[in-house]
Amino acid sequence: VLYLIWAYIPETWLFSLGLTYWPQKYWAVALPVYLLVTVGIGYILLFGINMMSTAPLNSTDTITDNFAKKQQQKKFQEEAIPALRDIPISEVNRMFFLPEK
Amino acid sequence: MAEERRFRSASGVPITLRRRQHSASCRELAVRGPRLQLRSLSAATSAVWLAAYGLFALSENSMVLSAAIFITLIGLIIYLHFVKIDQESLLVIGSLGIQVTSSYASGKESTVFIEMGQVKDVVINEAIHMQKVIYYLCILLQDPEDPQGISEVVPLFQSSKPRLDCLIEVYKSCQEILERRKTAPQSI
Repeated sequence: VLYLIWAYIPETWLFSLGLTYWPQKYWAVALPVYLLVTVGIGYILLFGINMMSTAPLNSTDTITDNFAKKQQQKKFQEEAIPALRDIPISEVNRMFFLPEK
Repeated sequence: MAEERRFRSASGVPITLRRRQHSASCRELAVRGPRLQLRSLSAATSAVWLAAYGLFALSENSMVLSAAIFITLIGLIIYLHFVKIDQESLLVIGSLGIQVTSSYASGKESTVFIEMGQVKDVVINEAIHMQKVIYYLCILLQDPEDPQGISEVVPLFQSSKPRLDCLIEVYKSCQEILERRKTAPQSI
């Protein structure tokens, strides 16, 4: 509310009231423009940060993970659903691509 | 015996896969991309020269024209020698190792050899690359300390990114040779 009052009332009136030390009126328009430009650049920046933090094709992060390396093998129980674990990529490949029709 | 089949790359460009079996434990797989097209070359050259002529019409400086000619020539040489890869080939020798060669359009060839002791497996991995999810073939290198671990990933066929059907062919050929090295006795 104070912002709106300051933006709209002309300087001479404010001076007559005795309030002289306010920022220049230029900033009443400049600050919103700065905010909107920051929001717009934020979109582009976020997109760029996403692209930069994607693992490159030659990194081991595309294959395995710190958690996957330290996982423990649970014992196989009869007639129970097998425990969830991260299957190594060689096994997955063999299952998908090797069987002949 | 040699065999050649046509496939498509990830961007739709037609590529050919050539398979040659040199012996029971040695295979060569080569992926060949399209040659430099005359129409794209002339389109690029005319675009650069039209821009240079426009600049010349604006500035009346004749150096712009000769600079444009130099830029076109040098740019073409750099492109052919460093950027345009004609053929990427994979030579798998069962007891020795895997050799990856890329031959550029200017005749330059760069090869990388990985010995079999370091190779853990050749797999088809999928990853995010430039707002797309692509399948690519890669060699997994073994970690010397940890037998189950993977120390490095070497992606193959990076410039002529073949699609999954071509990759499955290459994968099957490589696996036939890699399986045999486990049953054969390791010598040195």
